[in-house]
Amino acid sequence: MKKSLHIKHPYMMIIFLFLVMIACVIISMGYGALYIAPGDVLKNLFGISGEYQFIIQKYRLARVILAVLAGAGLGVSGAILQGVIRNPLASPDVIGITKGASLAAMVVILIFPAVPLIVLPLSAFAGAGLVAVLLIIFVRKKNARPSTIALVGIALGSVCHAGMQYMMVKFPGDVNAALIWVTGSLWGRNWDEIKLLAPWLMIFLPILFFLASKLDLMSLGDELVDGLGERSARLRFILIFAAVGLAGSCVAVVGSIGFIGLIAPHIARRLVGTKSKHLLPASGLAGSIILLASDTLGRGLMPPVEIPAGILTAILGAPYFLYLLKQEARKK
Amino acid sequence: MLTYSRKLYVLFGILAVILIIASGCSTGQKENSETSQGEGREIKHELGTAHVKGTPKRVVVLELSFLDAVTKLGVKPVGIADDKKKNMIEKLVGGPIEYTSVGTRSEPNLEIISSLQPDLIIADAERHKNVYRDLKEIAPTVVLKSREATYQETIDGFQTIAKALNKEKVGKQGLAEHQKQMDGLKSKLPKNEKRTILLGVARTDSFNIHTSSSYDGEIMEELGFKHAVQSKEAYKDVSLEQLSEINPDFLFISSNEGHTIVDDWKNNPIWKNLKSVKNGQVYEADRDLWTRFRGISSSEKLSKDLIQKVYGK
Amino acid sequence: MNVSGNRFVIFITAFILFIAGIGLNLSVGASHISFAAALKSLVVLDHSKEQLIITTLRLPRTLIAVFVGANLAVAGALMQAMSRNPLASPQLFGVNAGASLAVVASIVLFPHLNAFSSVGFALIGAATGGFIVYSFSSSGGMTPVKLALIGMAVHLFLSSFTQGIIILNESAGDVLYWMTGAIDGSNWQDVSVVLPFTIIGIGLAVIFSGAVSILGLGDETAKGLGQNTKGIKALVSILILILAGSSVAVAGPIGFVGLMVPHIVRKLAGENYKFVIPFTALFGALLLVYADVLARFIAFPYESPVGIVTAVLGTPFFLYLARKERNSR
Repeated sequence: MKKSLHIKHPYMMIIFLFLVMIACVIISMGYGALYIAPGDVLKNLFGISGEYQFIIQKYRLARVILAVLAGAGLGVSGAILQGVIRNPLASPDVIGITKGASLAAMVVILIFPAVPLIVLPLSAFAGAGLVAVLLIIFVRKKNARPSTIALVGIALGSVCHAGMQYMMVKFPGDVNAALIWVTGSLWGRNWDEIKLLAPWLMIFLPILFFLASKLDLMSLGDELVDGLGERSARLRFILIFAAVGLAGSCVAVVGSIGFIGLIAPHIARRLVGTKSKHLLPASGLAGSIILLASDTLGRGLMPPVEIPAGILTAILGAPYFLYLLKQEARKK
Repeated sequence: MLTYSRKLYVLFGILAVILIIASGCSTGQKENSETSQGEGREIKHELGTAHVKGTPKRVVVLELSFLDAVTKLGVKPVGIADDKKKNMIEKLVGGPIEYTSVGTRSEPNLEIISSLQPDLIIADAERHKNVYRDLKEIAPTVVLKSREATYQETIDGFQTIAKALNKEKVGKQGLAEHQKQMDGLKSKLPKNEKRTILLGVARTDSFNIHTSSSYDGEIMEELGFKHAVQSKEAYKDVSLEQLSEINPDFLFISSNEGHTIVDDWKNNPIWKNLKSVKNGQVYEADRDLWTRFRGISSSEKLSKDLIQKVYGK
Repeated sequence: MNVSGNRFVIFITAFILFIAGIGLNLSVGASHISFAAALKSLVVLDHSKEQLIITTLRLPRTLIAVFVGANLAVAGALMQAMSRNPLASPQLFGVNAGASLAVVASIVLFPHLNAFSSVGFALIGAATGGFIVYSFSSSGGMTPVKLALIGMAVHLFLSSFTQGIIILNESAGDVLYWMTGAIDGSNWQDVSVVLPFTIIGIGLAVIFSGAVSILGLGDETAKGLGQNTKGIKALVSILILILAGSSVAVAGPIGFVGLMVPHIVRKLAGENYKFVIPFTALFGALLLVYADVLARFIAFPYESPVGIVTAVLGTPFFLYLARKERNSR
């Protein structure tokens, strides 16, 4: 019925998602201390009118673009992880990568508050990378079962969580700032952050899209993949590495915003099916839309107070996720 | 595959176009704080130097201690980061006050700050260093330590703010008065006061003491008291057992709203045996005034409160 | 090898360690009280300062460690039996997170409540968290990994809410200590809150341990043996909730006890829940009593939350379990 129609025309769906995202971008730029109608937003962007140009360009444009980029990165990362681990519940947050980044960021915020600004994203990225390395070490066998990766990821996540609790108790200096970072927020982000993030996306996204078709083979089952021998293990590592790199760089820049990597692929899967070449762009777009919506709500709900986007992704994301699961369970 | 890669390029292409338009638009921005014609003062602060012209009239303060300083210098800020707690602000200032709220101290709303068209912004070194670059494009911004400031640093900060506001004379007078007040309060201590003093925050499930390196701890020592806990770490959680080991002569308690652990402790004979409890030297300390406000006027009020309670004068 | 003889030896050893642990727990602390003096204070009424400290501060704390340790361990054992998932535990399955959220919300929204009412909130929260996760365990094709991932997702969700409340209230410092799992502020009132739940929960668990064993064999087998699986599951769920909920209400969300202890016990004493349950209670209490002693050394003479120690002990164990999982399938 409706669903199969969507799958028959995945490209149409992708274009549709893209348009939705652009619409969200424009609407999102309207929200903040001052509401600006979408028509005016467009006029200001293209230089036709200059009233709100300052606000839009100074504060909202960069933030909105960052939401698009980070959301896309997290969405694609989640899609990859779910494919490699062959489990629809995997995502960067669940397997400990974002927790690793959070721990590293917390160490910097609480113990070395005086370091230059650039250190924070770098250490967050390093934290995510470290967890990924540990993940690979602990799952030493080359043809490790996907569920093991997930489990070890959860275990490592718990380690990081315990570490964070220890830090917060031992160094109660500025716990609030640490917590805000851990929750994830787009406040105060602008072009510098985009410059930090964009290169990573430009490196990893093409790699992933290129390997997309190979990813599909992996979902066919271990036996088939093992038949391809060594290449499958290498492929797996590259994919995980790229997914971690994507997620790590996003988290480094916006904090550990959760659930996007978990939900975006699910939504995408329902709309365009499971072929990677459709799924990856769709997940990216879905991720952007989710993060845009969360950030917009966070800014617009009770100005001048801004609710960090990470809280909203969880509040919106988790129930939806559980609903999705229930649907899938019912199918069986 | 052809359709697919085409799709990809289209996507990247549009993204690139957006980025180009946007960056093209944003480089046209003039930075208002850079045009330095005419007179101005160079104000050195934690993250650099601010160039302030004339006498700022529209000031935005992003932390409570700065509000304290600015008020003492006779300036009414147009914007305050008040965590949406107007009552708290009015408590600090000592009366009703008109201002625009710019949001929370942890994430103040940049757009609102910008819309107020300030000519000076005073921000906290710890909380706002991430947005310093944004703030200084709105107005000359002075970044000082607030939450982590020692008493001496608070005084230095006050002087910096005075300079930024072009009220150095008023500032000097204010400081002199403050010093006089503090000396006056110090003199109320009997010579050789050897008794120990301590402040703790009573929470629902724990008791958090402030040591000699905390803000209130420093003020207590400044006044001449002997602090009960000497430590480099400003805050520590203690059990009732430890409190009985520390056994201060004077105990000040800031309580959270509602049920706290001290309510439970009051029934315990160990509590009743504390020196301070036995001698009736346990006093209430308003949490906002004693620990949150910080700043020159607040330290005076705090000190007066302290001396009043301990010596009744 | 005589299995029951083995069990007896294990039990006696554990019990001795347990008593020693209690002694340690009572004697280690900011004020120096020797082991002997501690034991004496329990028995001889001499109104000394030491005795006051022991009876009003340390003894309730030790008892809380005992009861909470036992509760959490038994809750974990019941969860692992019921879901047939070796990773099941109050912490991984959203029960702890739900209870924490409820308690934090109640502290922020209704600050005037005391310990008794906290339990009510904790139970509701625990039920919510646990229910969400459990409702998925009944659907087909639910592997342990899937369940663990769901549990993690629910945990993240509930923690985000909690974080949101904390951030928007700028009250982070106040609840964080408790949220790591801390028993150092315990008093007799806390003991009286937990005790009834411990007695009922563990008592019923022991009584129905036979049924739990059967449940652990699988739904089909159990039904085949004539068991009313729906009824037993409902009862066991309630037991889990009251055990875990009351513990979180009083001591915060202490992790890993419910995960580790049942595994260790099953390795030593076999799969018969008639023995597993009481052993788990004993070992759980033992673990937490010693962990509490260790916690005092992290920042001596100042207190640290015991949750940190259980996390330090528990995470390598968790990693070990995760890797073992792969081998068993």
